Amino acid sequence: MKRFTLILLAALVALPLGAQKTKPKQDMIVFTPQWTAQAQFAGYYVAQELGFYEEEGLKVSITHPNATQSAENRVRSNLSQVTTLQLAQAVQFAANGLPMVNILQTSMNNGMVVISRRGKNPMQQQGGKVGIWAGGFTQLLESVAQQAQLNFEWIRAASMVNLYIAGAVDAIVAMSYNEFFQIRQAGFNVPESCVYRLSGHGYNIQEDGLYVSLDYYEKHKEQALKFARASRRGWDYTAAHPEEALDIVMRYVVKNHIATNRILQHLMLEEILSLQLDPDTHEREYRIREDMLQQANEIMMQGGLIQRYVTLEELIR
Amino acid sequence: MKLKEIRNSLSTRLSLWIVFFAAAIFVAALGYVTVVARRAVRREAIQGAKRVLDNTVIRVNGILEDVELVADNLEGRIYQNLDKPDVMFDLSREVVLTNSFLNGCSISFEPYYFPEKGRYFSAYSNNNGKSVYTQQEGQDSYQYFYLDWYLLPKLMGQPCWTEPYTDQEEFDDSTMDSKMMVSYCKPLIGNDGSFVGTLTLDISLAWLSETISAVKPYPHSYSILVGRGGTFLVHPDPQKLFYQSIFTEDLVSPNPGIRKLGEDMQEWKEGMQELVFGEDDSYVFYKPMMTTGWSVAIVCPESDIFGGFHRLQNIVLTIVLVGLLLMYLVFFRIIRKQLQPLRALAVQAETIASGNFDTALPQIKRNDEVGVLSRSFSEMQTSLVTYIDELTTTTAKKERIEGELHIARSIQMDMVPRVFPPFPERKDVDLYAFMSPAKEVGGDLYDYFIRDEQLYFCVGDVSGKGIPASLFMAVACNLFRVLSWQGNPPAEVARQINNEMSQHNEQLMFVTLFIGCLDLKTGRLDFCNCGHNPPVLFTPEPHFMTCEPNTPIGIMPGYAFEGQTMENMRGVRIFLYTDGLNEAENVSHEEFGNERMMNALASLPHSESAQGVVEKVHAAVASHVGIAEASDDLTMLCIKLA
Repeated sequence: MKRFTLILLAALVALPLGAQKTKPKQDMIVFTPQWTAQAQFAGYYVAQELGFYEEEGLKVSITHPNATQSAENRVRSNLSQVTTLQLAQAVQFAANGLPMVNILQTSMNNGMVVISRRGKNPMQQQGGKVGIWAGGFTQLLESVAQQAQLNFEWIRAASMVNLYIAGAVDAIVAMSYNEFFQIRQAGFNVPESCVYRLSGHGYNIQEDGLYVSLDYYEKHKEQALKFARASRRGWDYTAAHPEEALDIVMRYVVKNHIATNRILQHLMLEEILSLQLDPDTHEREYRIREDMLQQANEIMMQGGLIQRYVTLEELIR
Repeated sequence: MKLKEIRNSLSTRLSLWIVFFAAAIFVAALGYVTVVARRAVRREAIQGAKRVLDNTVIRVNGILEDVELVADNLEGRIYQNLDKPDVMFDLSREVVLTNSFLNGCSISFEPYYFPEKGRYFSAYSNNNGKSVYTQQEGQDSYQYFYLDWYLLPKLMGQPCWTEPYTDQEEFDDSTMDSKMMVSYCKPLIGNDGSFVGTLTLDISLAWLSETISAVKPYPHSYSILVGRGGTFLVHPDPQKLFYQSIFTEDLVSPNPGIRKLGEDMQEWKEGMQELVFGEDDSYVFYKPMMTTGWSVAIVCPESDIFGGFHRLQNIVLTIVLVGLLLMYLVFFRIIRKQLQPLRALAVQAETIASGNFDTALPQIKRNDEVGVLSRSFSEMQTSLVTYIDELTTTTAKKERIEGELHIARSIQMDMVPRVFPPFPERKDVDLYAFMSPAKEVGGDLYDYFIRDEQLYFCVGDVSGKGIPASLFMAVACNLFRVLSWQGNPPAEVARQINNEMSQHNEQLMFVTLFIGCLDLKTGRLDFCNCGHNPPVLFTPEPHFMTCEPNTPIGIMPGYAFEGQTMENMRGVRIFLYTDGLNEAENVSHEEFGNERMMNALASLPHSESAQGVVEKVHAAVASHVGIAEASDDLTMLCIKLA
């Protein structure tokens, strides 16, 4: 029973694969974002389609994770050279001895939310059933909930939206640019009183960034930096031409048979671009903020997810 | 057709009125029929759609209930073998083999439920259309216990249907619905009451899609099926199928109608809504499928439901419009023909109006209103010719009489002295007179002369006006001059005039007369007032003269008039007048009156000349009368002896 659409996330929780060394084609960079095709990765699609990578002398292939191989595993097995990670993920990897090098930080804000099903503040539902991704990205929230002694019963699932719709859970963890709009698309008004935004409660910690393995970085630093430069150009172009970028996103969405639509992707792109603005300067700064890194370290240390602090220098070589 | 033409054509106006009236009746009748018929069509459509929906839901539920029945039967056998994990493969395979409508069956357990089987145990059988294969599908890359079909029954503690999902990695959009499936899931509860796993039966969504899509009560109608999250599970537009929900567009373009429809369908309500769905005004009939929590709807474009009705309406409307046009043309032609004699009559009338009174009128041999009008007009023409002839004669006579009257006026005016100052050689006598007949000739008179240092004067007013009065005045005037020239005192003169004028006075006319004789040497005034207005004396303030109440002249033959005397009139101004002064009326028929007259006289300075007195009093009365026509002859005479 292979349920392609749903099992993707199940694949993402797969344990690290063994050293399945596959030599990539020479000079080819395979980029695998951490999720299926969607506007979250618009800047990379734009850079590819408008030839920004090519102009840097790079041959880039964008391959999304599939049922059997997560983005992380593809990078570790050298099937892909570049991926995207949330900052908290990168900190956890580094602290656990699997260092990844940040070559471009796109997100400047946290987009994680908890959405209540029962019409009240989700963080006041002590002991409630809360859906959370089985595939990861939960480090930060788990630590926050632990600190707040919420005693949530975490319901790990490949996708929480249907659980939410069916009323099987009290709340779900969601991204403000993705599941949040899917819930609203399902006819739920979701008043702000039912939404807990981490960014609004002192946990505004950056998310997506571009990462390569330390091994790859040390051997192909110049290529990695070129990739980062072209990607940044792609995001700048996306911010300046969102409709054109959306056209490109939709081509990727259709090609990958993603069950979404232009309206959802439009809303997602708006939110993603908004999350890319630094909360202080309101500029697209493309950098890891030391204060946010420090806060991520502290939260995850208190949550027991890491045993040591990760420095900025470990992430940016 | 210009408005002016309509205004000038009775035929057009009458025809249009008839057509408008008929159109109003047609519109009212058609409107009523439209409302009633539309209600009937709508009612029939609702009932028809409800029947179709009921049948569809019954058919779909029938198959879904078969699946649930299979699950119920299988559940008991699973519980009997909970300690024999490998039997689960047999049970799973057997169910798929014996129930052709099933695509697959999974009996999946919690991690490490069977310690000897490790973390994953999911006995799964699949019918791919060619054969049935059975396997344990749980593995690191497929952790089934994170999926909807496993989690939903676990979390809800009861059987449920999943939302549709696909089981194939490679497909294209055109075959997407054939690859989609839906699962019925039952939680498996262990002997201790705890959740141990899930029994899942899969069926293809293709048959459901075919069953629902086949529901097509109208040519352009279509059916949709939405899931609990509003997702289109059946929709003719592949761009929307599985990719969009009924609320998707509402995210960016709020549409209360669509939102209400979606909420009703989500809340498992049954009903009908009129709204713009897609691009057309549509009627959407919806009904929940209680088994799954989905809702099926039929979207019927309004143009389809009312298509036949609208076609009939258009035909009737066309017939009515053409009928009204024909009605207009026919009525216009009939009315025009009926009015033809009137038009000929009008042309001839214009000719007559231009002065050709002898123009022959058209012969109309009809007995209706037009015939009567024609004959009446002919008689009017005859009368008109006669009248015009008489008018011409009368006008000529009138002009002649007016000429004669003009001459008579000159003669009458010449009968009274009109040269002022009348005695330029004398500095002691200041005299001025004024007379204005109300008509061409009048009945007022005045006269004066000096004989042997005696100034005789008179002012009179004949009863009546016009020619008779003027003739009586002429006689009185002549008698005064002849009889007073003999040097008799005023009372005697009055008596003689009265005797003369009383004779042969069959018309019983009379004249009021004031006769005075002023001795210019002594200043003595003898006078006789024969029923005339008392003169005003300025001594120096104006006041009415006290006069004996003699009768007017011409009424009583032989009447003995009494004379009166005032010894010294030097420096005393005497003002005589007729009732045309104090009884002069303005447009409100308000008389000038003695008070205004006396005020006008009192306002004059003592040094005012006789002419000045008369002219200023005349100005005062003219100001009072204004634009009103003169009602009586007006005469004034003022004398002052130095």
